[in-house]
Amino acid sequence: MTRSPNLRRYLDHPFWQALGLLVLAYLVIVYGVPLLPGSSLVPSSVVLQYMVTVLVGVLIYVSDNDERWALFKQPLVAMLVEQRLRLVRILVLAVVTLLVGWVTFGQVRTTVAAPPNLRSIHPAPPAEVTFRGKTMTLTGLENPLRQQPESLAAFTAYGKEIYYQNCLPCHGDHLDGLGHFAAGFNPLPANFQDNGTIAQLTESFVFWRVAKGGPGLPREGTPWNSAMPRWEDFLTERQIWAVILFLYDQTGWKPRTWEKAEGGAK
Amino acid sequence: MRVGLIGALAVFLSVSPTVRLSAQDTTAGKTVYVKWCAGCHGETGDGKGVAALYMLPRPRDFTGAVYKIRTTASGQLPTDADLMRAIDEGLPGTAMPAWQTRLSDGERRNVMAYLKTFSSFFSDTSQHPQLLKFSSEPGGGTGAEALRVGRQFYDSIHCYKCHGPQGRGDGPSAPDLKDDPGQPILAADLHENWRFRGGATAEDIYRQLRTGLDGTPMPSFSDLLDQKFLTEEQLWRVAQYVRSLSPPKAPEVRDVIHARQIAGTLPVSPDDSAWSRVDDYYFPLVGQIIRKPRWFAPAVAAIWVQALHNGNAIAVRLTWDDRSQSPDTGWNKYTRRLLQTMASDDSGPQTLAPWPDQLAVQFPPKIPEGMERPYFLMGSNSGSVYQWRWRSAPRGAVAGLARGIDRFDTLPPASGPAARAVWDHGQWRVVFTRTLATADTANELQFAVGRAIPVAFFAWDGSSAERDTRMALSTWYFLALDQPTPPGTFISPVIAMVVTLGLGMLVVVRAQRRDGRRAAARG
Ligand code: HEC
Ligand code: HEC
Repeated sequence: MTRSPNLRRYLDHPFWQALGLLVLAYLVIVYGVPLLPGSSLVPSSVVLQYMVTVLVGVLIYVSDNDERWALFKQPLVAMLVEQRLRLVRILVLAVVTLLVGWVTFGQVRTTVAAPPNLRSIHPAPPAEVTFRGKTMTLTGLENPLRQQPESLAAFTAYGKEIYYQNCLPCHGDHLDGLGHFAAGFNPLPANFQDNGTIAQLTESFVFWRVAKGGPGLPREGTPWNSAMPRWEDFLTERQIWAVILFLYDQTGWKPRTWEKAEGGAK
Repeated sequence: MRVGLIGALAVFLSVSPTVRLSAQDTTAGKTVYVKWCAGCHGETGDGKGVAALYMLPRPRDFTGAVYKIRTTASGQLPTDADLMRAIDEGLPGTAMPAWQTRLSDGERRNVMAYLKTFSSFFSDTSQHPQLLKFSSEPGGGTGAEALRVGRQFYDSIHCYKCHGPQGRGDGPSAPDLKDDPGQPILAADLHENWRFRGGATAEDIYRQLRTGLDGTPMPSFSDLLDQKFLTEEQLWRVAQYVRSLSPPKAPEVRDVIHARQIAGTLPVSPDDSAWSRVDDYYFPLVGQIIRKPRWFAPAVAAIWVQALHNGNAIAVRLTWDDRSQSPDTGWNKYTRRLLQTMASDDSGPQTLAPWPDQLAVQFPPKIPEGMERPYFLMGSNSGSVYQWRWRSAPRGAVAGLARGIDRFDTLPPASGPAARAVWDHGQWRVVFTRTLATADTANELQFAVGRAIPVAFFAWDGSSAERDTRMALSTWYFLALDQPTPPGTFISPVIAMVVTLGLGMLVVVRAQRRDGRRAAARG
């Protein structure tokens, strides 16, 4: 393919190169990046950051060499002075002015936004809880079912059954918080595959969260928003410990232990 | 039995952590299946996993080898690619999730191969699924003429019998539908294409019309092509017409409903043309599974909300799809079937009653100052919520205070909301109006402009046996009464524009002067 000499002139010119690069960068960031597996739409503030970075890079490049810099300035100066480009000049001035006006208006206009949801994800648990009338000390408490290693598989299977009949619509069959009811809730159901939930917690903490649910959260946990039920009303103590076994078994996380308080290992 | 199997597998897995596989290794497929699919589809693939009673549609019984998503003729086996599509993308609107991002390519291929072992049909190599030949989409599919043709055939090939004249799944045959295993099934609401099992595009719809959704009453229309009852292009027009019923893009949830301020009277009628110019907000609803008795098959999937105010009163219009104007004895068969099908926390048999359709809009009794607000699920003993409740029979609305899901105290009707409702071919449209301020400031929310007011929604479909705690719900969102932009707001943008223009002109004048000097020097 032979390029027309006209097009060539533009392609070799630093000004049009720079402009082309900026447009290309914009297209890649806005339309290209979301296509990559595992990525989503780039928020507009981040787009702006990226574009400023690209612009600075481009300016450094064109000003790096005197000849290139002079060449780069040519179309700009021409736009400012030449009689035949009068219309373009007026248009650029008008567009820039309107753009500045619009951006400023966006800044000063007050719209009501949803108040920020300042929420502590893992609030401090109480030292002890009352479970169906029985007082349980959470500090130092271990999952009693782990004391019977020979039955662990059976308990885990039992936990799986309980999970599928109760937790599944919200926390999902992949335990990633994306069950078929999850879209209806805000905050979203907890994602157990994530390294920030059960991987960070002792089993006694998980027991407390399961047993007391959203309404049992302290104020900093925004109990009024959480859809997590109070499983104390549905499940026995043994059933809750079994479902906890299943959570760790299915995701492969290890519960944080009281002695070492390390956890977070897969 | 199950316990032993899982135990054995756990041992197997722990001794061979890296199982390297050839493509479609059914042994490895079984491992994936037991871990991720069996809870719903059952260890033996019979669709009777432990979770099966808690969802509708039920998990598929793989032993029958009947599939909804195919590129093959009705009654035939799916291709491997068809099965992969179902596994990768899931079946929207059901509990069947998309596995593409959750399992590796190899795992998904293997589990697909394993699925096929549940039915001997797949091993019968004398059977070759007959691939349907699909034509490509004719252009102009969004034009008025195309849609007119599509609509014409929608009626003449009797789609309306199940899907209803407006496509909301409320046709005359709808209450009697069941799928092959005898479970109640609803004709799809054609206005919610993001919930179609086989995909949302006109191409997906055309494909599903050609193949039918096997195992359900939704037939294949390929034979009508063979009989020359209609042409390929006309069938495409039907698909394009169906596509046109849903919004161009799947709706997104926005947290804050903005109520614009207008001058004069508010539109109180649900079908006032003024509503067509008001921004519409979408909120998905899900089953109430937090308090007993729980409800796993919510009928109302979403609600659309619009709001306006005039500085003195507010009007909120709520629109939701509901196939029946309950109570409607015509739907009794469906109701009974549904009650028999779904798991329940209640003991004892459920008896049918003429339950109405209901809707509740919930606010806190006072606009909260901090971030604290009442419990989203109808408040609690320590913090009540203020609700507007509307019901279809006896038709009307009341305001009241709820203190928990099972306690609702009606307030005197004096300052309560007025409500006007229309049921129109599978859709309710209700407009609530109330003055912003009322006399009972202690119990009734005093609306104020420029604030984020928490709001939540609850919906019941009587013909789906919904009443009390059996309902569809949302969590807290926000309602904001906007003010017209005060004139002062325009000052800074104008100043910024004047400065910009001035600087711009300065740059131009200087550049031109310099250029003039240079030209003079040269000349
Ligand atoms: C949360 C429960 C659940 C889990 C877990 C689940 N499925 Fe499903 N699956 C369903 C339901 C429900 C249906 C039926 C949907 C319908 O009929 O519209 C279904 C249908 C299917 C279908 C039939 C698609 C068709 O064309 O008709 C396939 C194939 C399938 N599932 C594969 C899998 C595989 C493979 C896994 C594990 C990786 C899995 N499912 C895990 C609930 C589940
Ligand atoms: C006998 C009743 C019946 C008739 C007639 C019928 N449908 Fe359906 N249709 C159904 C049912 C039931 C479903 C839901 C299937 C499911 O949930 O899996 C459905 C689903 C659909 C879907 C959703 C497909 C998907 O991928 O989930 C579309 C689109 C559709 N029908 C369009 C049509 C059109 C167009 C016609 C007429 C040409 C038609 N239907 C005729 C019963 C019917």
